[in-house]
Amino acid sequence: MSLRSGMTAALPRHLHPGAWWLWALGLATAASRTANPLLLALVLAVAGFVVMSRRTDSPWARAYGFYLKLGLLVIVIRVVFGAVFGAPLPGTVLAHLPEVGLPEWAAGVRLGGDVTVEMVMAAGYDGLQLATLLACIGAANALANPKRLLRAMPGALYEVGVAVVVALSFSPQLVTAVSRIRAARRLRGRPDRGLRGLRGVAMPVLQDALERSVELAAAMDSRGFGRDGSAPASTRRVSGVLTLTGLLGAAAGSYGLLDATSPALLGLPLLAVGCLLAVLGLVVGGRTASRSRYRPDPWAAAEWITAASGVAAAVAMIVTAVTDDSGLFPSTSPLVVPPLPLVPLVGVLIALLPAWLSPVAPAARTGAVRRDPAPERIEETV
Amino acid sequence: MQPARVRAVRLHGRSAVALALVSGLGLLAFSWPLFVQPGSGLAHRADAPWLFVVLLPLLLAVVLAEIGDGGMDAKAVALLGVLAAVGAALRPLGGGVAGFEPVFFLLVLAGRVLGRGFGFVLGSVTLFASALLTAGVGPWLPFQMLAAGWVGFFAGCLPRAAGWREVTMLSAYGGVAGLLYGLLLNLWLWPYAIGLDTGLSFVAGDPLTENLPRFVAFTLSTSLGFDIPRALLTAALVAVTARPVLLALRRTARRAVFDAQPRFEASRPS
Repeated sequence: MSLRSGMTAALPRHLHPGAWWLWALGLATAASRTANPLLLALVLAVAGFVVMSRRTDSPWARAYGFYLKLGLLVIVIRVVFGAVFGAPLPGTVLAHLPEVGLPEWAAGVRLGGDVTVEMVMAAGYDGLQLATLLACIGAANALANPKRLLRAMPGALYEVGVAVVVALSFSPQLVTAVSRIRAARRLRGRPDRGLRGLRGVAMPVLQDALERSVELAAAMDSRGFGRDGSAPASTRRVSGVLTLTGLLGAAAGSYGLLDATSPALLGLPLLAVGCLLAVLGLVVGGRTASRSRYRPDPWAAAEWITAASGVAAAVAMIVTAVTDDSGLFPSTSPLVVPPLPLVPLVGVLIALLPAWLSPVAPAARTGAVRRDPAPERIEETV
Repeated sequence: MQPARVRAVRLHGRSAVALALVSGLGLLAFSWPLFVQPGSGLAHRADAPWLFVVLLPLLLAVVLAEIGDGGMDAKAVALLGVLAAVGAALRPLGGGVAGFEPVFFLLVLAGRVLGRGFGFVLGSVTLFASALLTAGVGPWLPFQMLAAGWVGFFAGCLPRAAGWREVTMLSAYGGVAGLLYGLLLNLWLWPYAIGLDTGLSFVAGDPLTENLPRFVAFTLSTSLGFDIPRALLTAALVAVTARPVLLALRRTARRAVFDAQPRFEASRPS
């Protein structure tokens, strides 16, 4: 075991995408439990550091920066809305916006008035929390290989999963089809740019794609795709009953959650039981179809460490929220300097471990040799 | 000439019930701020919106598994994959132009030709594949998938028509669907975008007549400027492309012979 775990951490390999998602969701859960800007900034820094040290040079690895910009936009929107429409808070007046009287139907909507530092900071803290959540999701997007994520789809979703795999592997072919058809049109002296060119290129590309889908279907049929008849009728009946009962329970549970007069048992518990039944139906339905997997991603020590470090951050934050949440929600009215509580600090820092303890992703095989933008190779997706 | 109706993805009893239940739950997941009562389980928790973010992927998985189980053959899967790839390739084109979503015209036309079950699955698969390609997996994804699935589903439910009537109907539907899609996603975004304590936020327990104007004001002040041009552009795009694309799709559907039913019988001892 020690040899194996040592080997897996040392050798370059792709970490299971589920581990990265668990780690990121743990950090996101931690961020959702606090509005303390110091802790949120720490979560941002931790996620950013792990992304920087473990990302590959794949196109999706640049996602983190994009999500940071999105988060910045969220903060701006929150602050603007908080200043213009927010509930007035007393304090240091920053600016005075002209107040606008609104028509009868919009009664209760305040527009303009005094903008205080307290209002701006309260909206900014909320915005920062949402931006941090977004950044955690961005970190998962940047680190987890989406094609490997697809391989972890449950067996019951096989048909839809295959459709997604076809879509992912077909999209690079679309790009080559476009350039091929444009070249052909140029050779014939026809327009390949502009509005007329677009029509002349788009339709052959679509025809070509549809043509290929029929060929692909024939190829799949001849290789025995499809699982009709593989499941015994009794299993299908059981899975169907489980799924539909579960969905009905979930529907009733959601209604109970919205309605104040219904008993508490009709709310969250019923919803949870319903979802459990529906998932059980999925599992039963998926088990009947036996599928072989080509080189499944292992779930070894590094995966456990990565997932556990994210969960640790969430647990530390939740424990603090239950016992003493004064440090997690610093007051904005009156405005105080936010404290830095110890337990959440340590918890979030634990989530930094994957930066050293997870394996480095192997270098791309095509990038070093070929300089031309070769069509992406889709391999090992099914 | 009236082409025959094609059902590339059959909705049989179980999957139809599952689709109806999940759609109802999904509608609730979009619109709960309008209906929630004070003192109910959802009203007093700040993280209530996240409940549906956890719930919806599960429900989508269930309904897609139900539809996939026995309702889809290799031809449907291949066509789904290829059309989803085309849709996913169309989607980044809209990123540059303000709020322009060219993926809708494909959803509308494919749903029309290949039936409502196919339209629903194509909507969700397209958005899913495009999220995987552009690293856009996030809490918004299941909501986008469900809403896009509805766009494709109802395109398959449109009444029979032919010629210019069909093109007009599809183009009008494309515009309306684009607008409703924007409104639904806006409704989902509402609690997140501005928080719970501005004048435009929902107030649990207020009657619909008071929460709805707040939502309208929020929409007016944020995204209606994008939604209306997007709807118009979708309608125009459907009107321009409907004839050749419908022809191409119908030709493929005819070649694929979706409704053929092979029957296997035990050989009788003679």
